[in-house]
Amino acid sequence: MTGAILIETLLNGLITGAIYALIGSGIALIYGTTRVLNFAHGEAMMLAAYAALILSTTAGLPLWLAALGAILLVMAGGVVMQRAVIAPILAREDWSFRIIAATIGLSIFLQSAAQLIWGEGFSALPYFFDGVLVLGPVRMPWQRIAILIVALVALGLSALLLYRTRFGQMIRATAQDAEAAEAFGIPAARVHTMVFALSAGLAAVGAIMLAPLLSVNPWMGVPYILKAFAVVILGGLGSFGGAILAGFLLGIIESFGVTLTSSEWRDVISFGLLIAVIWVRPYGLFSTREG
Amino acid sequence: MFELSGIDVRYGAAQVLWDLSLTVAPGEVVAVMGPNGSGKSTVLKVAMGLKRPSGGRVMFDGADLTQAPATARVGAGMSIVLERRRLFPRMSVRENIEIGGFVLPRAEIRRQMDWVLSLFPELRPHMDATAGRLSGGQQQMAAIARGLMAKPRLLLMDEPLLGLSPALQQRVFALMREINDRGVAILFNEQNAKLSFGLSHRGYLLESGRVVLTGSGTQMLDHPEIRRVYLGEAAA
Repeated sequence: MTGAILIETLLNGLITGAIYALIGSGIALIYGTTRVLNFAHGEAMMLAAYAALILSTTAGLPLWLAALGAILLVMAGGVVMQRAVIAPILAREDWSFRIIAATIGLSIFLQSAAQLIWGEGFSALPYFFDGVLVLGPVRMPWQRIAILIVALVALGLSALLLYRTRFGQMIRATAQDAEAAEAFGIPAARVHTMVFALSAGLAAVGAIMLAPLLSVNPWMGVPYILKAFAVVILGGLGSFGGAILAGFLLGIIESFGVTLTSSEWRDVISFGLLIAVIWVRPYGLFSTREG
Repeated sequence: MFELSGIDVRYGAAQVLWDLSLTVAPGEVVAVMGPNGSGKSTVLKVAMGLKRPSGGRVMFDGADLTQAPATARVGAGMSIVLERRRLFPRMSVRENIEIGGFVLPRAEIRRQMDWVLSLFPELRPHMDATAGRLSGGQQQMAAIARGLMAKPRLLLMDEPLLGLSPALQQRVFALMREINDRGVAILFNEQNAKLSFGLSHRGYLLESGRVVLTGSGTQMLDHPEIRRVYLGEAAA
């Protein structure tokens, strides 16, 4: 492997990993705070891509404004989803299985609705950035570089929100003991809702940056949600930081695996790694305790 | 000041409190004593708004708080030291204590923190440590400090002596007296009759979710039933 291929492979791994980190950290945030495994998280991606597409091509908004509008719309969708579907189930006793069934049902509902509304056609969002970055022998499209930069900014802002603000303190307290948080005046139910909005926003950022490189279709979230669940388990169930690290790690391992073998081996490598980690460290690579 | 009247509580089909009534006057220390499973913790959960009663009323300073969430009760002047401390283990001691004053404006949190730490100087060196790393005694101090942050006029304490050594129990008792001397009323529960009624102005004995006996601390300690069943003294 030459130096240029090594750097390109590493960059590709970081870019793929950035998407996994964006999607996985959202799932981890929701699970860590509410103990809900949200199988409809991939549909937040799909809806964000469609929203950006419609706002830019049909409504004629500038691409960046369409992207911003799509992120806000999907965050609002996260609020509606949590209030209308999740919260009523959480209010009942013995909700753990029901919530899985409900989010799987919601995922299928949203895919089918998207298929009915927008059809099975495949569309693509225009590139945010044209051109190719050339650094000696290394060549990388700016659109792909932008995925990494935007993801790092979004994840960095989320980390600041979580660890440096009063709102973040509310989220972390609710995640560790919702009843205790409530006893001191933290509105845990509202925190749960805001966490769904934030997570949907992270998924939307990933989807919109990815949409110019992929086709926008009703099922576009499915492969990413599977990888994101792998990332969440690798990082330690419910750990926001662990999911980010695991996302980048998985992206890099996949990238080198594919370079050394072929793209057909991508999922074999990812899920093989997942099974190995579950055997050796069932509580995840970046968590020090079980459960 | 504080009153529970005619409280019924159910967990699913099982009723755990039956027509329970109790009062706490300003500046009073009131103990709720009873064996395991008698419903002591549920009384405090109902008082704090963490469990909705199926019947009865919760009054504080003349306001009906029966349907009010915990947030409103903290704002009204109530706070709690939860059973087994229940600190946020992956947050620092400072953050844990700050959260106790969540309803206060930021500037006031700082002032109240200084006051609270004057009561618990032993916590000062550990403020940046994660709460999960503190010893059991230090955790109890941090839990009481957190409970005092919201400037409560009524502090609820759910088994504050649970799991502590006799020396630490004495320290917590001394703290409870000191907190009460500063004008904070206390409603606490405890399994040990001698400790409960030795400290309290008044007490309630709970059995199977019902109040079976009430009186001043001294009356409760002198009651033949308490002496026989809970203090292990032979019947005269």
